[in-house]
Amino acid sequence: MNVALIGCSGMGVHHAGHATKAGFKIVACGDAIKERAVELASQYGADATTDCLSLCKRDDVDVVAVLTPTPFHTEYVVAAAEAGKNIFCEKPFGRTLEQCNTGIAAAEKAGVKLFVGHVVRYFQEFETIKAQIDAGKVGKVGFVRTYRGGICPVGAGNWFRDWDMSGGVTMDTIIHDFDWIRYVFGDPAQVFSQNLREQFDKAIDYAMVTFRMKSGIIVNTIGTWAHPGGFRVKVEVCGDNGMLQFDSSEAPLSVMMRETASGMPGMIVPGSPVGVSPYELEWHDFKNWLDGKGRPRVTPQDGVWAVRMALAALESADTGKPVAFN
Amino acid sequence: MAKLGIMSFAHMHAYSYAAAINELAEAELFAIWDDDAARGKAAADQFKAPFMANRDAFLASGLDGVIICSENVKHRAMVEAAAKAGKWILCEKPLATTIEDAQAMIDVCKKTGVGLGTAFPCRYVAPLMAAKEDLDSGRFGTIYAAACTNNGSFPGGWFADEKLSGGGATMDHTVHVVDLLRWMFGKEVTKVYCENGNLIREGIGTDDVGSLHFEMEGGIKVSHIASWNRSKSFPTWGDVTMEIIAENGVLNVDAFNQKVNVYNDTAMKAEWVPWGDNADLGLVSDFAAACDEKRDPAITGYDGLKAVEVTVAAYKSAKSGEMVSV
Ligand SMILES: NC(=O)c1ccc[n+]([C@@H]2O[C@H](COP(=O)([O-])OP(=O)(O)OC[C@H]3O[C@@H](n4cnc5c(N)ncnc54)[C@H](O)[C@@H]3O)[C@@H](O)[C@H]2O)c1
Repeated sequence: MNVALIGCSGMGVHHAGHATKAGFKIVACGDAIKERAVELASQYGADATTDCLSLCKRDDVDVVAVLTPTPFHTEYVVAAAEAGKNIFCEKPFGRTLEQCNTGIAAAEKAGVKLFVGHVVRYFQEFETIKAQIDAGKVGKVGFVRTYRGGICPVGAGNWFRDWDMSGGVTMDTIIHDFDWIRYVFGDPAQVFSQNLREQFDKAIDYAMVTFRMKSGIIVNTIGTWAHPGGFRVKVEVCGDNGMLQFDSSEAPLSVMMRETASGMPGMIVPGSPVGVSPYELEWHDFKNWLDGKGRPRVTPQDGVWAVRMALAALESADTGKPVAFN
Repeated sequence: MAKLGIMSFAHMHAYSYAAAINELAEAELFAIWDDDAARGKAAADQFKAPFMANRDAFLASGLDGVIICSENVKHRAMVEAAAKAGKWILCEKPLATTIEDAQAMIDVCKKTGVGLGTAFPCRYVAPLMAAKEDLDSGRFGTIYAAACTNNGSFPGGWFADEKLSGGGATMDHTVHVVDLLRWMFGKEVTKVYCENGNLIREGIGTDDVGSLHFEMEGGIKVSHIASWNRSKSFPTWGDVTMEIIAENGVLNVDAFNQKVNVYNDTAMKAEWVPWGDNADLGLVSDFAAACDEKRDPAITGYDGLKAVEVTVAAYKSAKSGEMVSV
């Protein structure tokens, strides 16, 4: 199965490797910046182009992977759908609800398969947490707290640091938690949120979000792009017969390099090595669907829901009022 | 040396204050009174102090000051009695369950010329003191936000009887952090949002989880979890944590994370044994000095009132579903 990648930097490079491992072939790489496309394409013996719309129409392409900055997902989703290609789209599915609806409608109309990369559903630690909850280890769940983030990312042309493009830590980063929360605890009833949008020109954002789920469960989600470095994920789930906690800072592997003549060493990078990356698992799940072997863990509607949750949180932070989901 | 009495051992902190009095050279546990005579006598035996069954006789026994550790709703009557007897007063938190009661307590102490303090021992917890000192140095610049928790295990008994406690976990576990925020930032809480409920142990009669959001003077945004969500198997009683986001950096305090992990096969439950300084000594020592010097304790009745105002606003918000002004 042949893949065309659109967006060849952070996630482009990442997904090229994982899709390949999952049995896909990268045949074309598109990016608004020519060198990015060329550099990635050369590693996979693929073609490079800046004409990403035409790339969607290539006869030898089965799947289009949309890995561009968030506001540029929909135009490629629509182009790929119209060309009859199946689609792998990074989260957030769209920057606005209109974009999401446009993308979904195009995929439905064309009858193509659309997968949204909510990769946290494939993370081994998150799957283990879910399995423990499902096994009744904490009893009936009443309270959940999640935490995610670190330094404010930059991205090509600083797009992460442009609020209208990335939507800050809420739209970009804790949307992962929003999706996972809905996956495990059902739909939210309402949300209240605060953030640091007013400090965003200093590349600082911090989101503090409270969901009331339809089940009554309270979920508190903290997202940070306010740290000077690092990346940390925490989860806590409390029930009537126990609780569980996860903290990525308790890492199984960490390295510290001694200073050398070539300069100061890099920062301490903790890691959690696994045989099969969750990003590769996404591609396997997607491939199974393409092969007619069952539905993937993430549906297009899940992708839309996550964006709805993020937009509602942003609206609440702007208005100082809770926002209900109906 | 200050002659101190304890009024009521309903709140478990009475036991640690009694121990602190016995440990301090500048204080003497002069007498104990309790409206539950059996409980009071047992405490008197434990701490080797005389038990007095009659409240007026107790107040007339030559005490300099009293520490009040009754059920929350009884604070006012005991403060009024002690103030009229001319005794210096340290009252357990929350100072009161209503603004009216808190104000009346402040007024009666002012009128009778006695000092009134609120027991917020967190101000004497070394890591929190160090955090305040660091913030006071100014090197963090402007404070933007904080995400806090005061989680605990279910205290049971009168704590979950609204008629005696005035409320559940939100009542019990909001005031410490509100006081810390006021003390550390030098700013008041202006608005409160609260989502709470009885979500962990069904049918206890009060809320046991609250997810609160504050706005403070200067636009500081705060998330706070007030809970009794710690399971019986959790290795400790709970926590006080604050992640403070500022212009020039991030400060994290996990106030009671000075511990040794103990794994004992008889208990078959992991245990965190604390080794940090005993904060109660600082609190009680200041109170003893306040009695001697005829001054207000360092943490005043007004501080207690300001925290009560936030708690009252939290319950108002939980009921109305809106963010409310303090
Ligand atoms: N699932 C995850 O863990 C995860 C992690 C990071 C980012 N993401 C998401 O992946 C997407 C890409 O993020 P990234 O970190 O790779 O960003 P990036 O800035 O590293 O890469 C984006 C690439 O897209 C190119 N590009 C920009 N506009 C384009 C356009 N209109 N047409 C074609 N190419 C264009 C840029 O030149 C750049 O090479 C975002 O939606 C982001 O939210 C997901």
